[in-house]
Amino acid sequence: MEGILSSIGEFLNGLGPLIALPVVIAILGIILGQKWDSAIRSGLMTAVAFVGIFLTVGLLGSTVSTIGQTFAQNTGTNLDVIDIGWPAASALAFATPVGNLIIPLGILLNVLLLLFGLTQTLDVDIWNFWHMAFVGALVQFVTGSFILGLFAALLTLVVALFLADWSAPLIQRHFKMPGVSIPHLQSAGYMLLALPFAWLFNKVAFLKNLKLNPDTIRKRLGLLGEPMVLGFIIGFLLGILGGQSLKDAILTAVNTAAVMLLIPRMVSILVEALTPVAEAASNFMTSRFKGREFYIGLDSAILAGNSTVIASGLLLVPLEILLALALSPLGNRTLPFIDLADGVFVAAMLAPLVAGDVILTTLLGVIVMGVGLIFTTLLAPGVTQLVNTSSLGLDIPTGYATYTVMSDAAIPTSYGLYYLFQTPAGVAVVVSLLLVVGLYFLKRRVKLENVLGGE
Amino acid sequence: MKTVYVVCATGIATSTMLRLKVEKFLEEQGIEARVLQYRVTEISPERTQADVILATTEIPPEFEKVATVINGISLITGIGQTETLQNLARALRENP
Repeated sequence: MEGILSSIGEFLNGLGPLIALPVVIAILGIILGQKWDSAIRSGLMTAVAFVGIFLTVGLLGSTVSTIGQTFAQNTGTNLDVIDIGWPAASALAFATPVGNLIIPLGILLNVLLLLFGLTQTLDVDIWNFWHMAFVGALVQFVTGSFILGLFAALLTLVVALFLADWSAPLIQRHFKMPGVSIPHLQSAGYMLLALPFAWLFNKVAFLKNLKLNPDTIRKRLGLLGEPMVLGFIIGFLLGILGGQSLKDAILTAVNTAAVMLLIPRMVSILVEALTPVAEAASNFMTSRFKGREFYIGLDSAILAGNSTVIASGLLLVPLEILLALALSPLGNRTLPFIDLADGVFVAAMLAPLVAGDVILTTLLGVIVMGVGLIFTTLLAPGVTQLVNTSSLGLDIPTGYATYTVMSDAAIPTSYGLYYLFQTPAGVAVVVSLLLVVGLYFLKRRVKLENVLGGE
Repeated sequence: MKTVYVVCATGIATSTMLRLKVEKFLEEQGIEARVLQYRVTEISPERTQADVILATTEIPPEFEKVATVINGISLITGIGQTETLQNLARALRENP
């Protein structure tokens, strides 16, 4: 079994992301009942999306490399690990051996867990399986084993589903969205770490009285919410601080703005390619689970338009930069960059923990990202390896430091498993399984609202 | 021609799914409209050209003065989808 999976993984990876994932997607679509012409179209579009992503990620590579070391040298800070952002990371993660197989195996695992009644979440958001592939790729980097990488990726999916089940009642009530749950680690993953602090904040009456109106923040900082504008501002500042001439700094700014706008556009082609497959999967599963109550698992983006979430997400932009500087004596070398645009994902599932209070949500965000930033630096070798080995061909100049992904490397499941799998494989497997079982009983026995001490 | 904004928090994921469904639906119904995809923080009530905003996430209340705002979550979950699409069609056909 192990040998077969390994050779399938190697074979697919040998074909490269332009062939492997598209073929897997087309075949999966047909199995799930998508019409064959539509399935092939999905496969082709996946390949086309990758071509587009590769082109724009090349632009990202040349932009960040101009900022990279010069920034650290000229400012005297240690911030020489560049955040390439989740849109590029998602393509990188899908273009790995684990990434090729995560969608079909993830769907299968979700169906099995539903059948055995271990989860109530039907994750129709297969696009976000890239977070699992990302963890899988990191674990494969640490262990050198494709099987352990795949194991870690699937385990991460189980964690995501359990967190979704557990938080569903709170999320549904707070955001008034019946029937949904959020198995999206880019938000749910931060929630666990934030829980003890949320509990503490809810106990301290004084903190609750510091009210801040989210709409004021949104109006004042609104420009930072537009990635293109944010990219221009950040690119310009980093260029100037990095000692570039005014003209070069403006060029860096324009290129950063382009990266912020173009990569997401390309990624949306990938989403478009996967949507019919996701629909087929959803129809396939709903028709087999008729009459059963379950939650539809969605992207936390659906929560991110909430005014508290937007306000905290905007406040996190300057705060993440300050955090990176403040934590540099403690070992942070990550320079927040592309993922600055996505503070809303950090805030999305923290807000309901503190009844939607902007200041407390932002404080929780600062805590999880503070801890997270240190780990984004520690995980940089793994991420850099991911960039180098996936056939994306990101242009890394010689002598240039390292890359990380601020959002995903800061998720507790990412760094937790990265370190756990540095122990002997047997220990790592047993301990991680025990943790998942623990999480299962936590979600079954303890109501999340009770942990928070009521509102 | 009427304009529909499909909006989500990233302008990437769920808004793409909305756009695909809305385009297909409009074609089936023979309704001509422009469908533009945005990130929620990219749009502003002053600049908007939308007649209808279909969003998978909360939209600031100011938009309700300049366009018909419809919650599009049902198009993602599949539950209550027909009703949402009918609301969209009505909004596009009614207002001159």
